[in-house]
Amino acid sequence: MPIKPLTVAIASGKGGTGKSCVAASLMVSVPGLMAVDADVEEPNLSILLGAEPYASSLVETLWPVIDSDKCDRCGECVRACRFGALYMFGKAFPTPNDLCHGCGVCSMVCPRDAISETGRPVGEIRLCRAGEMTLFEGRLNVGMPNPIPVIKATLDAALAEGRDMVIDCPPGTSCPMVAAVREADMVVLVTEPTPFGIADLDLALQVVTDLKKPSVIVVNRADLGDSDIDALAGKYGTRVAVRLPFSRAVAESYARGKPPASVDDQWKEAMIAIWETAKKAAGR
Amino acid sequence: MKTKEVTIVSGKGGTGKTSITAALAALSPLGIVLCDADVDAPDLEILLHPEPEGEFPFMGMLTAGVDTDRCTGCGKCEDVCRFGAIKVTGGKARVDKNFCEGCSACALVCTVKCIAMEDTRQGTWFRGMTEHGPMVHARLNPGGENSGMLVQLVRKVAKEIAESSGAGMILTDGPPGIACPAISAITGADAALIVTEPTMSGRHDMLRIADLCRRFGTSAAVVLNKADLSSEGSRKIEEACRENGLPLLASIPFILDVVHAVSQARIPSKELTTHLEPIWRYLQGM
Repeated sequence: MPIKPLTVAIASGKGGTGKSCVAASLMVSVPGLMAVDADVEEPNLSILLGAEPYASSLVETLWPVIDSDKCDRCGECVRACRFGALYMFGKAFPTPNDLCHGCGVCSMVCPRDAISETGRPVGEIRLCRAGEMTLFEGRLNVGMPNPIPVIKATLDAALAEGRDMVIDCPPGTSCPMVAAVREADMVVLVTEPTPFGIADLDLALQVVTDLKKPSVIVVNRADLGDSDIDALAGKYGTRVAVRLPFSRAVAESYARGKPPASVDDQWKEAMIAIWETAKKAAGR
Repeated sequence: MKTKEVTIVSGKGGTGKTSITAALAALSPLGIVLCDADVDAPDLEILLHPEPEGEFPFMGMLTAGVDTDRCTGCGKCEDVCRFGAIKVTGGKARVDKNFCEGCSACALVCTVKCIAMEDTRQGTWFRGMTEHGPMVHARLNPGGENSGMLVQLVRKVAKEIAESSGAGMILTDGPPGIACPAISAITGADAALIVTEPTMSGRHDMLRIADLCRRFGTSAAVVLNKADLSSEGSRKIEEACRENGLPLLASIPFILDVVHAVSQARIPSKELTTHLEPIWRYLQGM
């Protein structure tokens, strides 16, 4: 029987704690992994991996098209849309706007069958390569409000490869983060020992617990604060897997777009240990 | 005088939005109102310690609820849901509230009309008073939806407070990213301050949020934080600002005492005073 591929999501409540550094460091420390950048609003993993795009495909959502020959401007669609995404100015035909979620309700309720749907690009999936490494990068078009379709399409494309992979997730704890960690076997939560880090870690742990995902915690810049992360981890039945101190060398290499594990052996060893933990959590 | 609203954003998280917002508040020569619009990871209260004045539920959009007694498990709802939020398991339709967008397609097609759109609490918002002025903040429930709506709500309340109290300025601590919460935080603001850092990621993300500000007609200026962590990175930020017509208001070095102040839940005002003066001059000249 083939071994089920292992999927590890790197998340955090607070931004800037080092998610992409952990994701890129896992890539350069553990051979044979594939990477997914699900932080589609601000995808940075390609920078750290030095990965260049070699192919891309559009992500589209459905968008209503009103047939002006059939539409009698009855307004049913405008009343049915819960997102305020269709508007009628005076006696003009209904016009869709950026609030459209592509749910299809307008075309369902139209009594004259005047609404069809067409694809509209909201982002893209870029296939990137750095040496032997492959990266699926999701990228939301600037100005588009909803990142979820791009996150889902990128994950679906990557999961179809059937390989072990690392997912770099968006910050926060709302729907984009949930969509990105949904498919993971284990979640690595990256935090820092400041009151900000601990407050946002608490929220992220609530989500991960709610989704019933096993997790471990990476405390980055561990010497720049003294918040009690062990106690918080214990409350949610998880643990701190590794503490990495602040290092000017790491900060400087990150500024130049190099992952910490490429300049710091402590990072490299920590990444190998985290991957072993993930394998155990998935029963491998 | 008309109240001006300044939203502090960054694209990339962790560049120092909240520390800078708090320090600006502490050094403000004007009457101000504070607004934390990072409803996913609301940290401004940690530094500003507001005295609570009220706590209110945030209801967000209605979401689908199934009367399982009447559900026949026909699966029509599952077929029309484009968000994977309703599935028939064990012969009954079940809604995953994490994914329901509230479009009501399922309720429209249900053959026995057992799906109703119901009130769903998505978070909480708060009013408080800090040493530096009134504050409005909020917390989306973990895994919650409609963060953009909650951002609009806290900004609206902050504006009402500012107008009734005659405050000259609203400082809004924005969310990271460029999607709905960020759009909701910058739309209609008088200015956006983009806090960035001298890294390749910082530069990439700054340009995306600057593009967003341009599209939504909000004028943007840049504050470069932790500038001395990379002289090459700082030079590239300066270059990118010039090329894109973004005023670079201040370059703040990496100050370990700022980190220590934040660790003690204290506003790093005295550590940042001299660096924030040009920002205040810019904001007052708006």
